[in-house]
Amino acid sequence: MSRLMLLAALFLFSTSLLAGDEILPFEDDAKRSLYQELVQQLRCPQCQNQNIAESNAVVSIDMRNKTYELVQQGYSRREVIDFMVDRYGDFVHYSPPLNPLTIWLWILPVVWLVLMAWYMLRRRQSAQTARASNPELEQELDAIIDAYRSKKS
Amino acid sequence: MRKWLFFAPLAIFLAVSVFLYTGLFSDPWSRDSALLNRPMPEFDLPDLMQPQQRWNRELLTGEPFLLSVWGVWCPTCKAQLRFMTELREQGIPIIGLYYPLPVDPAFGDHFSLGQLQRDVQRELAYFGDPYQFNILDENRRLSFDLGVSGSPETFLVDADGTIRMHHVGDMNPRVWRNLFATAFEELQQAALVYQEVKP
Repeated sequence: MSRLMLLAALFLFSTSLLAGDEILPFEDDAKRSLYQELVQQLRCPQCQNQNIAESNAVVSIDMRNKTYELVQQGYSRREVIDFMVDRYGDFVHYSPPLNPLTIWLWILPVVWLVLMAWYMLRRRQSAQTARASNPELEQELDAIIDAYRSKKS
Repeated sequence: MRKWLFFAPLAIFLAVSVFLYTGLFSDPWSRDSALLNRPMPEFDLPDLMQPQQRWNRELLTGEPFLLSVWGVWCPTCKAQLRFMTELREQGIPIIGLYYPLPVDPAFGDHFSLGQLQRDVQRELAYFGDPYQFNILDENRRLSFDLGVSGSPETFLVDADGTIRMHHVGDMNPRVWRNLFATAFEELQQAALVYQEVKP
């Protein structure tokens, strides 16, 4: 048991090896966190579906260096993203801007919801009217059921 | 209503099938370049073979040309050299933009221009030399401004220095015929007319 505990205790020391990849000097923590946020959000144009923080493609290295340079020069988050989009297109940023094409991503779910609500409402209404609209048939059916029950008992 | 519902699953299946089937033939690399119809970025870079010669935007413009981003480290670039040499023989001006790999001094790498020139010379002598000259893109700054994500990539630049086409991938007879040939001829005609009109 104590051996097992010792083994478990050893695993506690193996957690701090994350993202020690690059050690870049920053003037202040705001710039450091801006840089880290940006390299997570910018997308590598070469190796699709990796951000530039994860990718080691040449273009990602260049983009990281450029991001660092611009952040050090005091560019804002928006300005750095615009700088990259200006060269590599909207593809390069993970959150797409609102334009005539991407607007459908927001509209379609709402349209779908409205359609479903309308469909369900209509179904419920038609079921109610169908039940209420034919009292003669109801009576007839009741009579048949009663006859069946009395025969059974 | 009932009948319609009966066919709904089949209709949905067919719609999804068609969507996925067309997806099989779509190219995930094809996307519109951000640089299209914009002037070529400003730059000031040395010639690969004669580094004392510097090139800039103004020196390149005057007639339509192809700008080919390449490097000796890139196998696809080797493969396209032969066809591009044929294009040069047809009189199409091709300018090379040499895309060097990053060197990491921490691993003992260093950039040697002499070694690079020898490598380039050997490769072009062996596979064919399509380039009028090569611009050495130090630190890949111009490539970055051009939105180059790797090599090979080919740009078609018109006589005014405006980028008219940006092709990611290799240059081969099919790409030339389908994408470039007509556009290049039109630009050449336009440039001739422009030169005649200009006093």
